[in-house]
Amino acid sequence: MLPLSELKRGSKGRVVSIAAGHGATRRLMEMGLIPGETVEVLSNYFGPVVVRVRGVTFALGRGLASRVLVEVIE
Amino acid sequence: MREILVALAGSPNVGKSTLFNRITGGNVHVANWAGVTLQRYEGSVSYSGRRLRIVDLPGTYSLSARDLGEKVALDFIINERPDVLVIVVDATELKKSLYLAVEAMELYEKVVIALNMIDAADRRGIHINFDGLERGLGVPVVPISALKGIGIGKLMRAILEVAEGRAGRKEPLRVDYDGLERYIAKLSGLDHGNYPARWAALKVLERSLPPKDQEAESICEEARRDLAIDPLSLIIASRHEFVDKIVRENVKRVKVSGPSLEERLDKLILHPLFGPIVSIFLISSAFFIIFTVNTGFPFNILLRALGMEEASEVIESYSLVGLLGSLFEMLAGASADFLSSIGLDPLWVRFISEGVIGSLGALLSFVPILILTYIVLGALEDSGLFPRAATVLDSIFRKFGLSGRAFFPALIGIGCNVPGIIATRGMEDERERIVVGISEPFIPCQARLVVLLAISLAAFPSPLIQASLMLSIYMLGVLIFLLSSKLLRTIMGWREPTELLMELPPYHRPSLRVIWWYSKANVIHFLKKAGLIILFMSSLTWLILNIGPSGYVEDPSHSFAFMLGNALTPILSLAGLGDWRYALALEVGFIAKEGILSTFSQLAGSPDPVSAIRYMGITPLKGISLALIMSFYVPCLATISTMLSELRKLKYVALAVILELSVSFILASISYNLGLALGLS
Repeated sequence: MLPLSELKRGSKGRVVSIAAGHGATRRLMEMGLIPGETVEVLSNYFGPVVVRVRGVTFALGRGLASRVLVEVIE
Repeated sequence: MREILVALAGSPNVGKSTLFNRITGGNVHVANWAGVTLQRYEGSVSYSGRRLRIVDLPGTYSLSARDLGEKVALDFIINERPDVLVIVVDATELKKSLYLAVEAMELYEKVVIALNMIDAADRRGIHINFDGLERGLGVPVVPISALKGIGIGKLMRAILEVAEGRAGRKEPLRVDYDGLERYIAKLSGLDHGNYPARWAALKVLERSLPPKDQEAESICEEARRDLAIDPLSLIIASRHEFVDKIVRENVKRVKVSGPSLEERLDKLILHPLFGPIVSIFLISSAFFIIFTVNTGFPFNILLRALGMEEASEVIESYSLVGLLGSLFEMLAGASADFLSSIGLDPLWVRFISEGVIGSLGALLSFVPILILTYIVLGALEDSGLFPRAATVLDSIFRKFGLSGRAFFPALIGIGCNVPGIIATRGMEDERERIVVGISEPFIPCQARLVVLLAISLAAFPSPLIQASLMLSIYMLGVLIFLLSSKLLRTIMGWREPTELLMELPPYHRPSLRVIWWYSKANVIHFLKKAGLIILFMSSLTWLILNIGPSGYVEDPSHSFAFMLGNALTPILSLAGLGDWRYALALEVGFIAKEGILSTFSQLAGSPDPVSAIRYMGITPLKGISLALIMSFYVPCLATISTMLSELRKLKYVALAVILELSVSFILASISYNLGLALGLS
């Protein structure tokens, strides 16, 4: 298990848990980052991490991404 | 007959604004939602003998009342109880956009779903079973293309049917929350005021609404303990599952496309190195082109630097502001002739021709840049480039407590601070908007560039030093803008902005029609709101400059403005500018910064501003001091009026003025006295 911020560009993971504040957790889940969902990392360098979940592309700040735990699939 | 109230809701990027404009035909009224700086768009339209009032709710991903837009949308639905709530969903992204629809239908029953971008869905091989969707959701589902105007008549008919109770749900949608149901039932039994009981119970379990009493609190505790999982995650997952099931049953994809153009574009735009360069380059070029069309700047400066003085003047006089300027000069002249010929008192002749018509001209000179800025900003937002640029620039701006979206007000401010302040609307965080709005005037605009240029030419002989003075002022301006944003957050005790979480919608071609509608509505809003303040204040300033204790004066040194300038001289002398003429010029510059040069010319009796400034006895040290004060001393009238109409609180405007005055005087005094101590002159 890794924080989402550690995943390399092009890799995929399955969401395990989110340990952010209530508001941020809710927002992430509404965007589709719910436990069990597959997440693909489209871009991850030093700034925000860009991911795709349930067909939606969005950018999330590094700090936020580091609070999303994922299981690496590929 | 009673008016039918229709509210439009939808997630961002589903084409809600396009639909709003399509329905209202651009007959739009702009206002603010009560107490907040968020824009409120409203329009009205007649359809088959009925009058419909359409309100565009803020675009939100959900209705949890945690952020401003959500709260506004939620309060509107609950308090105003619209006759119809139209929820716009994107047919190409049903999974994403149905989430809000489901949540809204759990809250409110009189719903019509507008299935937008149906043409794009067809093209991409997405087949949707509309009847199945209608059955699954229990509300009319109308496929439309807001952009092409397909299905609008059918949508209007569905709206009327629901408004008259002939179609749609009779009660809110019930999603099955499985293990949570017994807690929902318990909580529903409690009192929830205006909120529908089941919906309120869900929100309390989600912890989006606080539990009303001890009993509610203990039910939540119980649910959390028994289920060993946060109810929030269970509720959101169930909603997503509900959406997934409906989509699975009613949507078939026949084509599967390979890596799209979009993915390849994203690889470039989101690249850590090329991304910022490409987006800054693209966006800056767009703005520099419209700046040039507007006033000739910065192309005129470039031509002048290359020694092509004449070409530069041609560009300036044929720019939009140049043409408007000549028009108003003609108008002022003609009205002066006319008013004198009917024997009006010279004071009134000049007040009307110079004071009032001049102010009107100054006000209208903002219209082209505003329209152009709205168009470019609208196109950037609509095309999907805007959020991507904000993403790649985010980490730079974070260091100053800002988000990547602060790039736009900063960039546009170089052309003119007025649209720069308006561009803060693109920010989600209200506090960031206020902080950036207040700091905006530190970005030197092109009006100040013209004055800065004249000061550098007058005070320094070497072109190299002239150029470095101008460049340093710009860099200083941007630096102070960033530092001031950081400082203001600290002063106000506001936490750092919440971390970036932004959808990057698919790229698409912007709809010029919609952008044009919005630009028009917003410019009219600007003229009404800020325009009146600008007209009033600049006419007043004209009077102070032209009236003294003895009535109307030809020579400004007998005016009230002179007396005020004299009073300011002791303070200005700290920065080496202890001469009433500097004070007077700075007072005039309050209306518009270009006025500083015309005042110097008037005082020196020389049409050339550079020799007029030399005539004032400028030295290099005084030149630097004047450049610093002129660049930062106070926002011009139009900027102040815009700040007031956008940020909506006098205290923010006062803060901006005090901050700027102190920064400019402190900087100028330090540089002047440091120079003196080093034996410079």
